Amino acid sequence: MARHRGTGLAAIEYPTGMNQAGDPSQVWIKLKPDGHVDVFTGTCDLGQGSRTVHAQIAADTIGVPYDWVTLDNSNTDSSPLCTGTFASRGIFVGGNAIRRAAVKAREALLDVAGEMMEVDPADLTGEEGFVWPLGVPAKKMSVSEVALAATWTYGRMITGQAAYMKPFSAPDPDTGECEPHYALSYGVCVADVEVCDETGDVQVRKLVQVYDVGRAINPSLVAGQIHGGAMMGLGLALLEESYPDYPGVEHRGGEFGSYVVPSPLELPAMEDRVLENPSADGPFGAKAIGEMASNAQPPAIVNAIHDAVGVWITELPAKPERVLRALRERAEPVRRGKRVVFDEALSVRATSSLDGAGWLLIDD
Amino acid sequence: MKAVGASTPRYDGISAVTGRSMFVDDVRPVGLLHVKVLRSAQHSARIARLDTAAAAAMPGVRGVITAADVPRLVVGALEAQGIPGDEPLLALDEVRYLGQPIVAVAAETEAAARAAVAAIDIELQPREPFLDIRLALDPDQPRITPEGNRFHYEKHVERRVRRGDVERAFEQADVIVQGVYRPAAIEHAPVETQAAVAIPEPDGRITIHSTTQALYYSMSIVAEHLKVPLGRLKFVGGQVGGGFGGKVDTPCESVAALLALRTGRPVKYAFTREEEMLCSSVRAAWHIEIADAVTSDGWILGRRTLTLHDAGAYSRLSPYGTNKHTFHMGGAYTIPNVAFNSYVVWTNRVPSSSMRGFGVTSASFAIETHMERIASVLGMDSWELRLRNATRTGDISPTGVRLPDPSAVATLRGAADAAGVRLEGAYGAMTDARGPGEHIPEHLLPAIARLQVGA
Repeated sequence: MARHRGTGLAAIEYPTGMNQAGDPSQVWIKLKPDGHVDVFTGTCDLGQGSRTVHAQIAADTIGVPYDWVTLDNSNTDSSPLCTGTFASRGIFVGGNAIRRAAVKAREALLDVAGEMMEVDPADLTGEEGFVWPLGVPAKKMSVSEVALAATWTYGRMITGQAAYMKPFSAPDPDTGECEPHYALSYGVCVADVEVCDETGDVQVRKLVQVYDVGRAINPSLVAGQIHGGAMMGLGLALLEESYPDYPGVEHRGGEFGSYVVPSPLELPAMEDRVLENPSADGPFGAKAIGEMASNAQPPAIVNAIHDAVGVWITELPAKPERVLRALRERAEPVRRGKRVVFDEALSVRATSSLDGAGWLLIDD
Repeated sequence: MKAVGASTPRYDGISAVTGRSMFVDDVRPVGLLHVKVLRSAQHSARIARLDTAAAAAMPGVRGVITAADVPRLVVGALEAQGIPGDEPLLALDEVRYLGQPIVAVAAETEAAARAAVAAIDIELQPREPFLDIRLALDPDQPRITPEGNRFHYEKHVERRVRRGDVERAFEQADVIVQGVYRPAAIEHAPVETQAAVAIPEPDGRITIHSTTQALYYSMSIVAEHLKVPLGRLKFVGGQVGGGFGGKVDTPCESVAALLALRTGRPVKYAFTREEEMLCSSVRAAWHIEIADAVTSDGWILGRRTLTLHDAGAYSRLSPYGTNKHTFHMGGAYTIPNVAFNSYVVWTNRVPSSSMRGFGVTSASFAIETHMERIASVLGMDSWELRLRNATRTGDISPTGVRLPDPSAVATLRGAADAAGVRLEGAYGAMTDARGPGEHIPEHLLPAIARLQVGA
């Protein structure tokens, strides 16, 4: 018995959003009489922190402290439409709607402040709860004061509302030409594994991960996505399967005792780096990290297994029996002219009737 | 301090880990009824007999619904994209997967609902299930629908992506590397199972507390099933105990709402853990074949792919996920000549649907494992092969999008640095923008020429 170390690499890209029929997000914002901000959006928070990040975007755009902002995404009577929290669109589509609505609320705020100060609103600026004439910070006035005056003196309402959406681009049925995404994110994972040649057990020792997120609006939530995603990717690579006898349907696990997800026992060392390559259209340059964070580990781990023991595990998960079988079989690709053909027995041509007739095969 | 760029704590972090956050399961209105569902015990069967009279007469039972009680039985998940639905809310005359809902019962207690479900008189005539997507066209295999086992896109059966001259690329190649990649179906496994509480309001509206990831999307699905305007409904949610794509499905809300209307009482329908694991949608299993036309010095001239997506018994969001998959089969690389073909195939298993990375997780696995095989066949360094073919600023994606700001090179170089890997020669100095003196191989010239004329 021996344990073998190996290293594997994977480089990926991932779309921010996937517009397949128009996918707007809408936001409306109002200020309370003391300048505190209520943001209404239909974006569900799945635990990834969209609510926190959206509030951060609103705070800086309007120019109030973060803790002045409440965000209500609780129901469809008060919250305007958001197509949904999927396709890694929350930060970009939802975030841009927040930003646009917040720009309008800021304009409404500066309008009132301009009237109070007898200054053209275009010559005003502000942040963190104060507004002042450009270049004259000594004349600053608190947002609370402005909101109070708007409410009781001027009889006005400081609000902002906006939608964000990229028009739908239908795929050409012959060529697939279309532009469904808002931005692309890139990422790389390097997996360091140890493979036991007696049991087939694979341990992931370390994951080095680099992601371009455009701009990390909230670095600790980005790290949370990276670490949580990594564990989900590790589960995909090594542990999880709804159908252990796929394509058979027997022995499905109906509980956490019989369906194995990664636990702290499998937690590898992780080192991550975040690149900030701003997206021109993203709110503060941000683009998605959400979904992509679980995509690079499975190939990196499989490639590391190959580096360690010289076998390819291309049916997931790379469970011990698969690793042991591969070690026993030591399959080599078939060479046919200039073709090098791996996994021939698994292919549609080999398994379907009539040599794959009816499918557009890769070797026609 | 500015908010953007600060590691502000998650607004509900403390309340979540101390058990004080409120989820759908915490909604407990007075007079709440509980739903249990009769599910198919067969992978595929005709419903020969169904009689709910005895169940409806059981103690504590307040409402029983079948397919006949649903105003609009079949609502498609992708109707907004012009894709008609194929899945009934409750099975009508056949079942296509083990666990498919057939009858829903609302009763005073979970135990009473469970007892009533057990008392339903049903006869299923089992049929041979169809399970291996690769055999979808085999004449001796069962057919899921009269039209066959494959979903049809708008013009072709498959989703196609075409670019450049793939035949010429394969003629020019020194080596063609082929492989097959089969990532498994997996569970979303959220801590919070799918759940809905529907409350009939005095004004005739229905409030629905939902675990959905998409309040308005799910509300529109329920409005269609009930044939009511959106104003009749109020969805409450926004805080989800783990979604990962599984809670785009709306499996509980319409059933709870129909039973609330029927009984005039608040109704809760929550999946047990077993239902969550066995009856809710999964990440699909995929079958992906790749053939890459490669030069001996590591340029990828062209790529052909064949993908089969195991949609399970009904389409749900699979045509969307398979689109996304196909659009991204080029990976983080510029391959100017491609022919990608992807099929959505139905089987007699629980429908698959969206899950984190929908369509692209499988693409990334296949592409990146294949890249490593190419490196091994050519005897080339893993990093250099990827850097050589990496998408660069201004390159065109397989679907024809000019990419203004790729960071394939920057992320690779960052990872090499973090992993202590020294990139040799020109690779150590590469940037995402192609340098003026940088070698551009002949196969990329047409694509770059198109770019320069702004095409």
